[in-house]
Amino acid sequence: MTRLLGWLAALALAAGVIMGFAIAPREATQGNVQRIMYLHVPTAWVAYLAFGVVLLASIAYLARRAPAADRLAHASAEVGVVFTGLTIAAGSIWGKPTWGTWWTWDARLTSVAILFVMYLGYLLLRGMIDDGERAARYCAVLGIVAALDVPLVHFSVYWWRTLHQPPSVLKPGAATMPPAILAALLVNVVAFTLLYVYFVAKRVRLLRDETEALA
Amino acid sequence: MTDHWGFVVAAYALAVVVLGGYWRRLVRMEHELNALNTARVDATLRSRPPSRGAHPRPEPGTRTPLQP
Repeated sequence: MTRLLGWLAALALAAGVIMGFAIAPREATQGNVQRIMYLHVPTAWVAYLAFGVVLLASIAYLARRAPAADRLAHASAEVGVVFTGLTIAAGSIWGKPTWGTWWTWDARLTSVAILFVMYLGYLLLRGMIDDGERAARYCAVLGIVAALDVPLVHFSVYWWRTLHQPPSVLKPGAATMPPAILAALLVNVVAFTLLYVYFVAKRVRLLRDETEALA
Repeated sequence: MTDHWGFVVAAYALAVVVLGGYWRRLVRMEHELNALNTARVDATLRSRPPSRGAHPRPEPGTRTPLQP
């Protein structure tokens, strides 16, 4: 099942690259550098999804003390950190030619950096505590608190004056982009979501096998 | 506006390195766990006392005839 998910994700990613580079037109204002959007926006979406899953799995763990919920939270946080790091790096590479700077302490960028650091702390906390049950409990609390930053990240572009543009898709009303660009973006969102599910499924299985091997 | 293809290539190349690196890490962990499990099974088999099951019947000279 995991292997099938991996192949599906690989095929979807290949379709996403074709859509982003061959089907979607060159953007009139930014030129071809806008094609970074087909990487930056899907990775940001996956980061939101990953930390949303951490939130739900952490609540489930605190309510039922089910080790499976803790493993899901752990796996999702780890994959979320990878995707958040990639979002920040791709955004920075996109920012240099369009804004003229790699980084600015803008509300959106700063809140994403805080999110990244909080979940890095989450993973460090897991590694620091030897008692598995205690680590799971502390991390569940931290996972819930850190996930509260996700709405702050999303709405930061409305609440503060920022250099970062407001959302074009995840907002009330219709998407404000041409259909060919929107289609390429949505294919990439699906591809990266499949990749996230594949990574999490594989990591959850590894965490379960690790626990069994150490028992 | 110029196209800045170098930035586009850099962003996608970074994605390949990061996501490919994470995938390779998962695969390596999987192999290590499989190797650990195989080593544990081997150690368990070696630690068992020698089985007598391979010679279930006594040597012919020590056999006693069946009693009526």
